[in-house]
Amino acid sequence: MTTSQSEFSVSGPRHDRRGPVRWLWSHLRRHPLHLIGFLGGSLVMVVLNALVPQFTGDAFDAVLGKRGEPLDALGLIALALLAIVLARGLFDLVARLSSEVLAKRLERDARDELYVSLLGKSQTFHNRQRVGDLMARAANDIRQLSIMITPGADLIVDSGLTGLVPIFFIASIDLRLLLAPGVFAVVFAIALRRYMKQLNPVATRMREEFGELNAGLNQAVRGIEVIKVTAQEGQERLRFRANARRYRDSFVKNGLVQARYLPTLLFSFAMAGALWHALYLQSTGAITIGELVAFMGLMGMLGFPTQMSIFTFSLMQIGIVSARRILGIMTAESEIEQRADGHAAPISGEIVFEDVTFAYEDDEDAALRGVTFTVRPGETVAIVGETGSGKSTLTKLVPRIYDATSGRILVDGVDVRDWDLDSLRSQISTIEQDIVLFSRSVSENIAFGLGQRADHEAVVRAAEDAQAAEFIAELDDGYDTVIGERGVTLSGGQRQRLAIARALLTDPAILVLDDSTSAIDSATEDLIQQAIGRILEGRTTLLITHRLSQIRWADKVLLLRRGEVVDFGTHDELITRSRLYRRIFAHYDEVETDGAGAGSKVLAGEQGGVR
Amino acid sequence: MGFIMDGLDAEDYDRTYSDRDLLRRIISYFRPKLGTMLLVATMIVLVSASQAAIPALGSLAVDALADGTIGQVGWLLTAGILVAGAFSWVFNFVRQKNSARVTGDVVLRLREDAFDAVLERDLSFYDETPSGKIVSRVTSDTDDFATVSTLTMDLISQTLMVGFVTVLLFVRSVELALMTLLVVPIVVGLALLFRRLARSSTRRAQRSLSRVNANLQETMGGIAVAKNFRQERQVYDEFGPINRQSYQVTLRQGFVFSTIFPVLFLVAGLATVGLVQLGGTAVLEGGLSAGDWYLFLQGVSLFWFPLTSIAAFWSQFQQGLSASERVFALIDAPPRVVQSAAEPPGRLAGRIEFQGVTFGYDPGHPVLRDFDLLIEAGETVALVGHTGAGKSTLSKLITRFYEFQEGRLLIDGRDIRTLELGAYRSQIGAVPQAPFLFSGTVADNIRYPRPDAGDEEVRAAAAAVGGGDWIDALPNGLQTDVGEHGRALSMGQRQLVALARLLIQDPAIVVLDEATASVDPLTEAQIQEGLDLVLAGRTSIVIAHRLSTIEHVDRIIVLDHGRIVEEGDHAGLLARGGRYCEVYNTYFRHQSPHYRAGTGFVSVAGGD
Repeated sequence: MTTSQSEFSVSGPRHDRRGPVRWLWSHLRRHPLHLIGFLGGSLVMVVLNALVPQFTGDAFDAVLGKRGEPLDALGLIALALLAIVLARGLFDLVARLSSEVLAKRLERDARDELYVSLLGKSQTFHNRQRVGDLMARAANDIRQLSIMITPGADLIVDSGLTGLVPIFFIASIDLRLLLAPGVFAVVFAIALRRYMKQLNPVATRMREEFGELNAGLNQAVRGIEVIKVTAQEGQERLRFRANARRYRDSFVKNGLVQARYLPTLLFSFAMAGALWHALYLQSTGAITIGELVAFMGLMGMLGFPTQMSIFTFSLMQIGIVSARRILGIMTAESEIEQRADGHAAPISGEIVFEDVTFAYEDDEDAALRGVTFTVRPGETVAIVGETGSGKSTLTKLVPRIYDATSGRILVDGVDVRDWDLDSLRSQISTIEQDIVLFSRSVSENIAFGLGQRADHEAVVRAAEDAQAAEFIAELDDGYDTVIGERGVTLSGGQRQRLAIARALLTDPAILVLDDSTSAIDSATEDLIQQAIGRILEGRTTLLITHRLSQIRWADKVLLLRRGEVVDFGTHDELITRSRLYRRIFAHYDEVETDGAGAGSKVLAGEQGGVR
Repeated sequence: MGFIMDGLDAEDYDRTYSDRDLLRRIISYFRPKLGTMLLVATMIVLVSASQAAIPALGSLAVDALADGTIGQVGWLLTAGILVAGAFSWVFNFVRQKNSARVTGDVVLRLREDAFDAVLERDLSFYDETPSGKIVSRVTSDTDDFATVSTLTMDLISQTLMVGFVTVLLFVRSVELALMTLLVVPIVVGLALLFRRLARSSTRRAQRSLSRVNANLQETMGGIAVAKNFRQERQVYDEFGPINRQSYQVTLRQGFVFSTIFPVLFLVAGLATVGLVQLGGTAVLEGGLSAGDWYLFLQGVSLFWFPLTSIAAFWSQFQQGLSASERVFALIDAPPRVVQSAAEPPGRLAGRIEFQGVTFGYDPGHPVLRDFDLLIEAGETVALVGHTGAGKSTLSKLITRFYEFQEGRLLIDGRDIRTLELGAYRSQIGAVPQAPFLFSGTVADNIRYPRPDAGDEEVRAAAAAVGGGDWIDALPNGLQTDVGEHGRALSMGQRQLVALARLLIQDPAIVVLDEATASVDPLTEAQIQEGLDLVLAGRTSIVIAHRLSTIEHVDRIIVLDHGRIVEEGDHAGLLARGGRYCEVYNTYFRHQSPHYRAGTGFVSVAGGD
């Protein structure tokens, strides 16, 4: 009975998402031409590069061997070398540019795929996800993919081939010459492994300690006022010195490990051994002088991978980790089960919570416990509670962003789990504390919910009702003014009124409004409150607020504390019977909460006397 | 053309040091390490010499081959390469080990000096400089300085090596040496050209990238809204061009970078071809030995790498120098708050008197002019007024974060300039709008002003604020981790912690900047209760933003453009219908529990 179909998709190739490496490969495979350009170009380039010492060797043979016309032979060899060098340069360029294209296309396509996949995820998923996290994935992790190709894969292919190809050429000169490079390859691999094993923990610790140093310093700088005013400079100085010293020690240790990088020593051993071996073979007449020179030239090529190998692996590792993280998002399942024959009807707006308990994770403490209350259609309920008392969690249960762990939530008498999800959610609108607007014109932003179908008059009417018409008129291009990143910046109060206009246009039956930031000056506050007053009309509203007057004038107040309902009722009821509620108003002269210590019994006797 | 200045973010206190001063300053940090530095220098010479020996040995081998004497000297040459390689490794090991130690120690000292400077700086310095930039001076810039010393050593060793090889080549054949050296200007020229290309394309890429990122951020945020209103296609169509633009820009930049090495490599290859031809001819004509020919061929590759890296080093080197300049500027920034004496203040009663004080952040534009105010010990005073009226300026002068230009500020009748600053400040409790918490537990933060305060004391202080209810709401009570900069706590909870911290500090004077940010009413009630307790018996100056506060203070002072325009208590001032009423209508009216949009104005009398 579940819908597993994605809510949004575009036509295009499907990528293998069974694992990070397979996924990367399925992306790269889509650009065969560039892939061939990259791999083939690299191979040809390295082969040509390995031919250079061969021909230099031939040149020596020609000059020293005194066969025929040495000058002509030398000239031919030089010409051949020239051709090789030019071709090598060409293929080098082809390979580098191809890999660059591959890298950037991978970046582009992966970002696109991630984006489509995010658009396809349910609303539930997005309400649970932090935008910052998604942003980090889309920006950093995807960038890392491109870095993994250039210079990562680029260097690996390059140094790998530069390590392998000369070996083949050496073999083609004389198989016996393989002795020195062969032994070197084995010992090198072992030494490299040991080096990495030593370096990794030291380098990690060094990075961590640098992070700590930075964090500690950051804190001291940001908290300088506290430090100065409490005269705790000594304490901070000691802490910083300890951190700086620890980092210094790691830095020195890191330097020591790097200084002990053995492969360079091994390489010179290999060169000596190779020379000795080659000389011996030459003396026996097995190879010519030119071949000896060529062999030494080829051995010299092996120096490159000896130097580069460390750097490349870490780039690949980081890339794979990034790919895994991106895949993690794309394959995440967060669907809420939906009845196929769900209830679909216009909502009149009654909300009933019946003994609702909810925990985000099974093993976590419940965020809401035994919550019971009833909201009649059209009522405005102010939800009051401390940060973390469960206010926003409660509002998320109504449009089924989350399902209650136990208990029931009824909308118009029907359990939300029996509602058709689309029908339910399309009639509930949420205005969050942080309002997202798009870099488009004001009118497009207001009409966003209708997908540009709204006519201009309706937009203007909504803006007027939301008290936004006045400031829109003052913008340079009125309703056509582009806002956001590419245009004008709006204040918090203006954004809020645009969001209200946007919601007015979609006309929801139930509204969840987080109005917990307040304007500093009364004039702005007047406008916002008029706009809110307008949108509350005729809808059931759950209003998260910090404003005393909104609480004071709401139809009902729901007082939450640590996930439990402390009290539910009208202002007058609560002020008479709830000590906690009275405490809220105790510091204001305007509200008679009576002698704070007098207790509720006295007040109960004079009900109605309190306004 | 603002982007030209991108990255060149100079601060007010930055200064330019002459090259000589800068160098002398840098050397002064290295001087204590002179012995080790000499050792490192020696090692650098030895490493370069032993590296240059290998191609020289190779050339000898080729000569011996040509002469047919290889049989006798072959093993000697092999041993020579082995020994040169081994020595080179050992010398390099000694060098790297010691230079890491020197660099580590020097940077440590520089960092310590920089941090001491950070603690010394006045608060005005922090108001003017973004904290991130100060932090980067102490960590990143000192790190860049470390690269300078490492780079300098690398540069010297590379140059030495090139020098050795050049000498070797000239000894063998002047003509071919000149021809080899011809590669030098070409390689360096190309490297510099590419650097310029890379720089401009990088700058363009960065600019366009930040635009792309900003757009991406928006579309990412937009997904949730698009879902809310079922407008996925609309948002996707917006994303497409952004993503494609990003592709174009980064690809173009990538192309520039990808071309550099193939081109340089090509130049080296062409040089090799030239040497094969010319050198071979020279050998045939008998002007050159085969070994020398080999040496020249090796010379190209020996030149190639150091030359390209020298070109790359230079910009890093300059970066490092300007980084050290920035660090020294931080250390040398002059203090602005100057004390004329350092008399111990003793336990303060808290009487504050401004006598004809004139002050401006910029002395040319005074905020306060000939300002007089007397606050009695134990009095609670609220400052109200429009933004820029001078409310927070008064508190900054009392905490002695800023220096005033004229007049006197007396604390308990003594000139504030004569007091010992540390001891004086520890008797002032300052609570900013967004109180700062250090990472650690709630208890750690309450204890901060007096690290020796016992657990019982901390608990009592916490329990005293707002009835201690707020502690129960924390997941682990007083042991709750507050997270980075207190992020794990709500703004209201942070204020409660700051109030408890004030109780531990037990100051004679409290300077409180009330939060304008909205706090849920339950926490707000606890904060108000906490304030009643903390302010009792102390001289308190409150920059008031809350209606409930101004209703209860001893005296309200209405400030306007640095002058006191009205004084009195809430009820009295409201009845008077003066400037206070105007301020009330603007900032406090809507906080009343009975507020309804457009109502609740108090009438302002007269033509003000």
